[in-house]
Amino acid sequence: MHLRCQIPLAPFELDIDASFDARVTAMFGPSGSGKTTLLDAIAGLKEIAAGEIEIGGRVLYSSSQKINLSPQQRAIGYVPQETALFPNLSVRKNILFGASRKTNSNSKAAITLEHVAELLEINHLLNRWTLTLSGGESQRVALARALLSRPELLLLDEPLASLDVALKEKIIPYLRRVRDEFAVPIIYVTHDPVEVLSLADWVIVIHRGRLVSQGIAREVLMSRPVFADLEEDQVENVFRVRFVDSEPQAGRSRTLLDSGQELFIPYMTEPKHRSLQIRIRGDEILIATKRPEAISAGNILRGIVAGLEVVGGEAVLKIDAGDIFYARLTSSAVQRLGLAPGREVFMIIKTRSCIPL
Amino acid sequence: MLIFSLETWHITFFSLAVGLASTLLILPFGIALAWIFARKEWPLKSAVETIVLLPLVMPPVSTGLILLKIFGRRSPLGQWLYDRGVEIVFNWKGVLIAMAVMSFPLLVRSVRTSFAEVNPRLEQIAATLGASALRIFFVITVPLAYRGIIAGLLLAFARALGEFGATILLAGNIPGKTQTLSLAIFSFVQLGKDPEAYTLLGITVILAFASVWCSEWLLKTEKRI
Amino acid sequence: MQNAQKRNAKMKNSLSLLFVFLLLFVVRAQTSAHADEILVAAAASLTDVLREIENNYQYRSKNKIIFTFGPSSTLARQIEEGAPVDIFFSADLAQMDSLEKNGRLEPGTRRNLLSNQLVLIVPTNSKLAIVSPKDLLKAEVKKIALADPAAVPVGVYASKYLMDEGLWDKVKTKVVPVLDVRATLASVESGNVEAGFVYKTDAAISKKVKVVYEVPVDKGPRITYPVAIVKESKRKEAARDFMNFVLSPAGKEAFKKYGFVVVE
Repeated sequence: MHLRCQIPLAPFELDIDASFDARVTAMFGPSGSGKTTLLDAIAGLKEIAAGEIEIGGRVLYSSSQKINLSPQQRAIGYVPQETALFPNLSVRKNILFGASRKTNSNSKAAITLEHVAELLEINHLLNRWTLTLSGGESQRVALARALLSRPELLLLDEPLASLDVALKEKIIPYLRRVRDEFAVPIIYVTHDPVEVLSLADWVIVIHRGRLVSQGIAREVLMSRPVFADLEEDQVENVFRVRFVDSEPQAGRSRTLLDSGQELFIPYMTEPKHRSLQIRIRGDEILIATKRPEAISAGNILRGIVAGLEVVGGEAVLKIDAGDIFYARLTSSAVQRLGLAPGREVFMIIKTRSCIPL
Repeated sequence: MLIFSLETWHITFFSLAVGLASTLLILPFGIALAWIFARKEWPLKSAVETIVLLPLVMPPVSTGLILLKIFGRRSPLGQWLYDRGVEIVFNWKGVLIAMAVMSFPLLVRSVRTSFAEVNPRLEQIAATLGASALRIFFVITVPLAYRGIIAGLLLAFARALGEFGATILLAGNIPGKTQTLSLAIFSFVQLGKDPEAYTLLGITVILAFASVWCSEWLLKTEKRI
Repeated sequence: MQNAQKRNAKMKNSLSLLFVFLLLFVVRAQTSAHADEILVAAAASLTDVLREIENNYQYRSKNKIIFTFGPSSTLARQIEEGAPVDIFFSADLAQMDSLEKNGRLEPGTRRNLLSNQLVLIVPTNSKLAIVSPKDLLKAEVKKIALADPAAVPVGVYASKYLMDEGLWDKVKTKVVPVLDVRATLASVESGNVEAGFVYKTDAAISKKVKVVYEVPVDKGPRITYPVAIVKESKRKEAARDFMNFVLSPAGKEAFKKYGFVVVE
């Protein structure tokens, strides 16, 4: 996908030039930086002063070639932040609203109502009215509606913003399923690094209308210019692990990281899919320069300091333990332990700190 | 004290019939214009809005005079119509046009507010889902605004029933042919025939009351979506 | 000369009437297909009398007469703009003159048929001693209602009369201009004004006013109700027919009955 556009947008102008080609591209940045405007521009709902928008070889907009496809012609599925479900239609009618559109979609699986309803677990909602739905249910219905219009691109604008943490963690798997089942590229707007890390392959960072950085999710997020904008507890780690077995008596389950190391997570019954995502908050990782003994934490992982960013009284430590970890410390801790790149360290992570997504 | 003669009923039914016809006539134009006002912007928009609202604020007699000039036989339009056998002045068609012109701004205002209250995001998303502008209008916008539309129609109807100044100038006060409730009340008052006047007044009040009451009720129960 | 004309007119009228009678008897069976509908525009004050005349006319002709009543100025304006009026019966000369000047009248059809009598009215329960226009100078008379002396015929005539009597300058500060005759009657009825001027035919409308002074016809202003056929009328024959009936003795009787003064 190739995206270049200039949109006058008070109080600043949106000026983006980015090219990417990924299954899920996250658009990351603080609120008010123009992300929604950008999505609107891509969908054809906002006027662009100048630029080009091209997806998979199709030119949606080009000021030089004087092309400007109407929203109807762009084959884009849009799930806006407020879901915008049609209150005068039932859930089923909402979902099927765009289903009759003819597009030459090259999705892996044929998109049918039954399939999507099952995937997103909304079968029981089909005959309900949209105003009676909860936040999470609305999101899934809006997603289903976008999917059934057989889009060639999905735009999700902060789909989990209005949900509480528990609900968020419930819905991320649905999004992952959508990503895996249908071959539709997704642009996912969010200001939450967890969502970025758990869903996206690629991230573009937008700040006050400008493209600040883009690249592979993990690296970009923890880089300095991005980190400086993050809120307090947003140093996050998200790993893909493989479930091995459970030890009910011990209250834990065993998983394996990509590097082959073991990671113990709180006890869970055997999941349907062996592949899980685990989230560990950066400030729940303790660092020691000597391997600790007789300690309660369930995970002790050895690694080498690969990077260190100090911003005021806070520091973010990048540790290479086969997998890359990010831990958050105070700068006094860094000083006290004499941490610097190349140093050997031990990460102490409680079992309970490893949260399956 | 009240007089319910054949004439009374004739005047009432005539007024109702032409009032209804006038409201139906302005319905498509009013809704279309209201939608354009609610959703579109263009350089001379305020000028157009003002022109549409003029009959609401100008003395009805002035509006009637303008209509008379437009449709009278002396004007190009009037002559053109007359040659084709269509007479507007002193005819029920004149009543229709006077009612339509005077009630039009009320309809547009009411419906425009209702359309403006429909979240534009809904229409935008419908567009991304492939719906044509017409489909969006009839399947999303109108159903969400229908209360305001009906309220506007009722208000326009009530206004049409009460119309006097423009009617008397364009259609004349011809008993049995163009005499509406308002014109008849005026005539009876002028002649000192109070019982007849009060009868018709009572009928007018009941009709207008019912229309406006329903209109207000509809607007109150309209939910913000 | 005038007498001869009058006699001629009378003869013509009688002959026309006879002709109409004969025509009716002869052609009655067929006329339903040829019945014309003519539109008569008339000042509101003529409503009742014209309706009675039309009622009588129905026995003599299959033509249908429809009326439009209103202020003479409005009617004149509508005729000016090409409204399909066949006969115009105005409450004052100015309107008819202006139409004639613009060539809107059928030549030779205009008649200054009627006149009216100006009367001074007071509320029925008035305690003031008002018996003549001079009494309007009294201090107890604080307000006098007049239908817009600048535009409405009766108001114009009343103010002219007061001017001729040398009273206008002294009473004009007391004058309350109101919308029309009906408003004049209403304000006198309510007692908001102590006196008002209307036509004799109008005073009969209200039971809550009484006439205290009738301006003598020869001393008062020359009030004239002209009538004419409109030039663009498409049904001139029928119009003439009705006009002749209006001008006939039967018609004139009706006018007199309602309190109008017949001039011709």
